[in-house]
Amino acid sequence: MAGRGHWRLLAASAATLALVVPLGWLWWASLVPDTYSVMEMGVVDLGGGPATTGHDAHDGRDVSTLTGPRGGSPDVEVTLVARADAIDLGEGSAVGGYTLNGTSPGPELRLTRGDLVEVRLVNESVPDGVTLHWHGVDVPNAEDGVAGVTQNAVMVGERHVYRWVAEDAGTYWYHSHQVSHEQVRRGLFGTVVVQPRSATGGELDMVAAIHTYDGRRTVNGRVGESWREAAPGSPVRVRVVNTDNAPLHTWVAGTPYRVVAVDGYDLNRPTEVEDTSVLLTAGGRVDLEFTVPSDGTAVRVGTGVADTSLVVGPQGATPASTAEPEAELDLLDYGSPAPLGFTLDDVDRRFEYRIGRSPGFLDGMPGLWWTVNGEMFPDVPMYVVREGDLVVMTIRNDSGDVHPMHLHGHHAVVVSRDGEPATGSPLWVDSLNVADGETYEIAFVADNPGIWMDHCHNLPHATEGLLAHLMYEGVTTPYEVGGEVENSPE
Amino acid sequence: MRSTYRVLAMLVALGVVLQAAFIAFAWFTVINDVDSGALTFTGEDDQYNAGHMLHSIGGMLIPALSLALLVVSFFAKIPGGIKWAAIVFGVAVLQVVLGVTAFELPAVGLLHGMNALALAVVADLAGRRVGHAGTTTATARTRTPA
Repeated sequence: MAGRGHWRLLAASAATLALVVPLGWLWWASLVPDTYSVMEMGVVDLGGGPATTGHDAHDGRDVSTLTGPRGGSPDVEVTLVARADAIDLGEGSAVGGYTLNGTSPGPELRLTRGDLVEVRLVNESVPDGVTLHWHGVDVPNAEDGVAGVTQNAVMVGERHVYRWVAEDAGTYWYHSHQVSHEQVRRGLFGTVVVQPRSATGGELDMVAAIHTYDGRRTVNGRVGESWREAAPGSPVRVRVVNTDNAPLHTWVAGTPYRVVAVDGYDLNRPTEVEDTSVLLTAGGRVDLEFTVPSDGTAVRVGTGVADTSLVVGPQGATPASTAEPEAELDLLDYGSPAPLGFTLDDVDRRFEYRIGRSPGFLDGMPGLWWTVNGEMFPDVPMYVVREGDLVVMTIRNDSGDVHPMHLHGHHAVVVSRDGEPATGSPLWVDSLNVADGETYEIAFVADNPGIWMDHCHNLPHATEGLLAHLMYEGVTTPYEVGGEVENSPE
Repeated sequence: MRSTYRVLAMLVALGVVLQAAFIAFAWFTVINDVDSGALTFTGEDDQYNAGHMLHSIGGMLIPALSLALLVVSFFAKIPGGIKWAAIVFGVAVLQVVLGVTAFELPAVGLLHGMNALALAVVADLAGRRVGHAGTTTATARTRTPA
């Protein structure tokens, strides 16, 4: 009797261990140290290229040396003061959040191509610290503003100077890349417009930054209908910026329009469209060009929700309907092809960025988390490139949700979607909408040395492990995620 | 051990009832917010919805309770106890798998809803094993001194 009881207890204990030990091990293995360098986190992926040589820091370049011009007097000099503050949304509503120089969005930086810009960021009262990332501007790595990768977060009372040259005309934006999933949503962002040197004559040029504060969608920080006066017959360019976490539809109602630029790159020979919307992914920008109708009516630029829009036209005019068009423009066959500057016969590295979702532990937390190439954070890819490499990346999304994928420091051209080659104007993007079930092939030249994030711009998704890094061989970073300043880029 | 087994099985069954309540609460909240314009589907994952939050906590707690039930069953000496605890655990794991899959294939959500009822039923049946066991052990105990 005692013998049987003994064996039974032993078997019960063994069965318990067989269940609990693997689970415990999975939990333990998922724990991420409080402080770590992105160079030590993840799975090295050479993409079929040669292995890295001379990885030690001595013959490598430190990201903090990859700066914009340190000398020379700036053409544009701005101080941006970050505060925890109330944000006035108009129509009597206000919301708590963060401001830059007292407003959200922060000041619009209007530059001319070739300008040397100097931005002094001062953190007056944002408790977690702040940084500024120049979304879509391919700045040198040290100016990229990612806490724990290219700099330390700027804590209360501290300042940080960014200096870079506005090399490409186009529409961009800036936002904090410290605790970004919270700080961007609550207002720490602004827009950047780089105008070409030969300014086009007489075009009315305006930004429409679409942001949702506390469930209320706004244009340039204002709920409801925003008016911009324009005479009948005047040409207009509206630069629509999506600063939210999800894709949205934008369109022009009341007149035909053209999509003249995407993510800061002009499209080649865009044609006129009407009663059609454009999908604008999170973090992405589209420039819409149209002429104010001569019949005295006003044009409406839609934001995806009926009660918030931008109206452009003569004072007192009747604006066009708020209804969203049913047709959606496919940018992959819009406009005309043009040379890319390279051919895809001679690719140096090919990477895969497969997005999935699986139950498991993320830093000890059980839940349903994103995976990259089948692995959960921190086992995400480190895509290694050498300067000058032509890189093709295949992004495949089987995760059940849409992901706006953002590659820092580079623009990539869309090669194909679901195996169908892109046939329209070259589509250069820094923010790519990858819907569930879609596969995109993109190509880019590795021409900007550094350590660059390549992550989902639905920023809470990045906190849930949907990120990777593009790393140039021989480049190292002295900064760490975590640490004394509690760098937390996502 | 027996009463622990019984309590855990009951908690799993009760948990399923609460999960149904939470998810209904969550979706009526969403519908109400959309109707009143307070929710615009902007991808704000952290937009506060108490029902969804509670359902996802429950979704972790119930498998943990089922695992605890299985572990307890190894020690509890309840006739058929291990078998029923294993069934509860299996159905709970299936429930998680169905829930995960439904994010990609929403129609699988139908099975997630139906399997929830199955989980409540098997957890209840497991809990009732203790009742049967109670009578058999009582008999066994009276026999032991003899």
